[in-house]
Amino acid sequence: MTRRVFLDGVDPWVNWSWLSSHVPTVLADLEQHVVLTVIAVIGGLVIALPLGVAAYRWTGLRLPTLGTFGVFYTIPSLALFALLVPYTGISGVTAEIALIGYNVLILLRNVIVGLDEVPNDVLDAADGMGYRPLARLLRVELPLALPAIIAGVRVATVSTIGIVTIAWVIGLGGLGELILQGYIESFHTPLVVGSALCVALALTADLGLAVVKRLAVPWARPA
Amino acid sequence: MNRKLGSRWLLAGVVALAIAATACGSSGTNPSTSKGSITVAGFNFPESSILAEIYAQALEHDGYTVTRKLRLGTREVIGPAIKSGQIDLYPGYAATDLEFYNSGAGEASGDVNATVQKLNTRLQPLGLEALNPSAAVDQNAFAVTKATQQKYNLTKLSDLAPIGNQLVLGAGPECPTRPFCKPGLEKTYGIHFKDFKALDTDGPATRAAFANGTIQVGLVFSSDSDLNKLNLVVLQDDKHLENADNVVPIIRQKVASDEVKNVLNKISATLTTEQLVSLNGQVELNHQDADAVAKAYLQQHNYFS
Amino acid sequence: MDFLHRVFIWLADPAHWHGSDGIPTRLGEHLHLSLEAVAIGALIALPIGITLGHYGRFGNLAISVSNLGRALPSYGILVTAFQILGLGDAPIILALTALAIPPMVTNSYVGLREVNPDLKDAARGMGYRELAQVLRIELPLAVPLIMAGIRTSAVQVVATATLAAAIAGGGLGRYIIDGFAQQDYVKLFAGAVLVGVLALVTEGSLSLVERLLVPRGIRLQKARPASRATAFKTA
Repeated sequence: MTRRVFLDGVDPWVNWSWLSSHVPTVLADLEQHVVLTVIAVIGGLVIALPLGVAAYRWTGLRLPTLGTFGVFYTIPSLALFALLVPYTGISGVTAEIALIGYNVLILLRNVIVGLDEVPNDVLDAADGMGYRPLARLLRVELPLALPAIIAGVRVATVSTIGIVTIAWVIGLGGLGELILQGYIESFHTPLVVGSALCVALALTADLGLAVVKRLAVPWARPA
Repeated sequence: MNRKLGSRWLLAGVVALAIAATACGSSGTNPSTSKGSITVAGFNFPESSILAEIYAQALEHDGYTVTRKLRLGTREVIGPAIKSGQIDLYPGYAATDLEFYNSGAGEASGDVNATVQKLNTRLQPLGLEALNPSAAVDQNAFAVTKATQQKYNLTKLSDLAPIGNQLVLGAGPECPTRPFCKPGLEKTYGIHFKDFKALDTDGPATRAAFANGTIQVGLVFSSDSDLNKLNLVVLQDDKHLENADNVVPIIRQKVASDEVKNVLNKISATLTTEQLVSLNGQVELNHQDADAVAKAYLQQHNYFS
Repeated sequence: MDFLHRVFIWLADPAHWHGSDGIPTRLGEHLHLSLEAVAIGALIALPIGITLGHYGRFGNLAISVSNLGRALPSYGILVTAFQILGLGDAPIILALTALAIPPMVTNSYVGLREVNPDLKDAARGMGYRELAQVLRIELPLAVPLIMAGIRTSAVQVVATATLAAAIAGGGLGRYIIDGFAQQDYVKLFAGAVLVGVLALVTEGSLSLVERLLVPRGIRLQKARPASRATAFKTA
């Protein structure tokens, strides 16, 4: 089994001088990663929220929507990025079609479950107080579904951050480009830097969203 | 104020901030002071990153705004990308590029000028152009470990013909479809391997596969600097399967202004195979970065003065 | 539709069903990598999650470690494993195991925590000793969540194993990577279809196993709320 034949003695896991001279590159990759993630999560919400509300209302829609996006979800990201290339090229659009598509499934499920879990008593009370359907949706049902929706956003965000690294296959891997460089050049530092930043980004986003949830839904019990 | 309402405004604010960050993050360089934008791409092996960086930095020094897409992939990815205008320039190799754009018609030869001429006739209808070829050459080369060489007493590729069915070939996944790779070995040399392992284009997987015996014959590049260190021996291409793979920039005609062409041709004119091997060594053996190595090369040749 | 037709022809072509690049070989490689990763992961994750859940200790640590595990980029772990262990199955299985552990730890911990404390008291009162209590009372009650965790892990691993091909590994991902490198989109799509089908079969068969394992009494009760480990895509 091959071991340290390929790892130079002079190659520590983090070469700090390389890092300090490559800060702009690393930051550019980080920026690309963040931008792709943010667009993917917001895009997912933009589609999943109305679709989820519709599927919650008209239960007949649940199977087709969850089914379609569910099938989409099973396609490995590597394959999906590659398959889209002949149509949308090696562009952000290709990456986002895949990323947003995956997020829609996660968010859709959570929107539906969140809305489903609103207690019937509350709905009755709202009706009794004179809320019309749209107002009830916006001011009662959605806010109460918010914990579940934000939980979905957390999962979608952390998941997206991981999958963006794979977009190196179309040259848009963000921090994944650093990992690719580490692999191709048998060089540890970009690999470690890329992976560590990815983890840090995911944990920060997760924590940040937990804080957002606490601020947005102070009445929710800790979950 | 209703606390619930306040929390929702906070949520909206966070989302708006995120969108703003996205918009700000996408702002590029200042266009008014640059002569134009060029996107330079490289293949997914270190030598290509070095060459792409050399050309990119030269263009930047001349006042162009350069976007880099290094390690973009194989020619099968880069070819369609440049055809569709998503990249503008990449450092190609004359013979291999010719056989890519003519779908393996077998037009390449050992004469670099003839090869580049034929390449240009193929590129022109696609809106592309091959500039002046460099003297630096990097060809496909097939190597074996020193142990294998001694075991079968090998010096040239023809020696593999009788024993091919005992050996495993390792190369990038595109090898079975490239005329200078597996099909070429079969047609020109009559070598039929026991098996083919899809690894990478002369990358870490290929080298690891040599070391643990997964492959006996592997594709490497003639300008590699670390073959000796890895106990690998290149077999002589006695039937001249590989042709004039001189480094040549392939560029989109739309960005190929005379000035751009001058900058690039000037670089190509001074590049030699020896220098390429040396540059590769700095990256492969000393773990320096392609952009640093490229910069040092340009400075050494007084390009920035 | 012509494209889909060609994919179907590719899948039906007998030439693609034997040899070292044939569907059975690649499927076998993929299953080997996935099964080993989930099995080893389960051997590590389940005892940890079950023990922590039973004693109710270090729960936050367990959840945090799991969160950390989720945050790991799968491609990064694969390349790291390759750089440490080189070429072969071992680094890939190592990396996939690391990814398989978090959902199983989380779910088994939560599954054990959610066992009704009254039941645990009753068991203790009836004279059950610690291990017996875990094995005969708590585990059967926690089976739905534990199985959900194993299922999530398994589907995740099957999908992520496609990445192994990017570091010269085998498995169904080879069709995807090779197809892309050779610009053979039919092979690429066929590979994606095979992985998708395998993921669905994995999900389905483990659901079946869960149904068989869940004690009949539990199954007859009102359906439990959605499992904690929501489907999480790593590749």
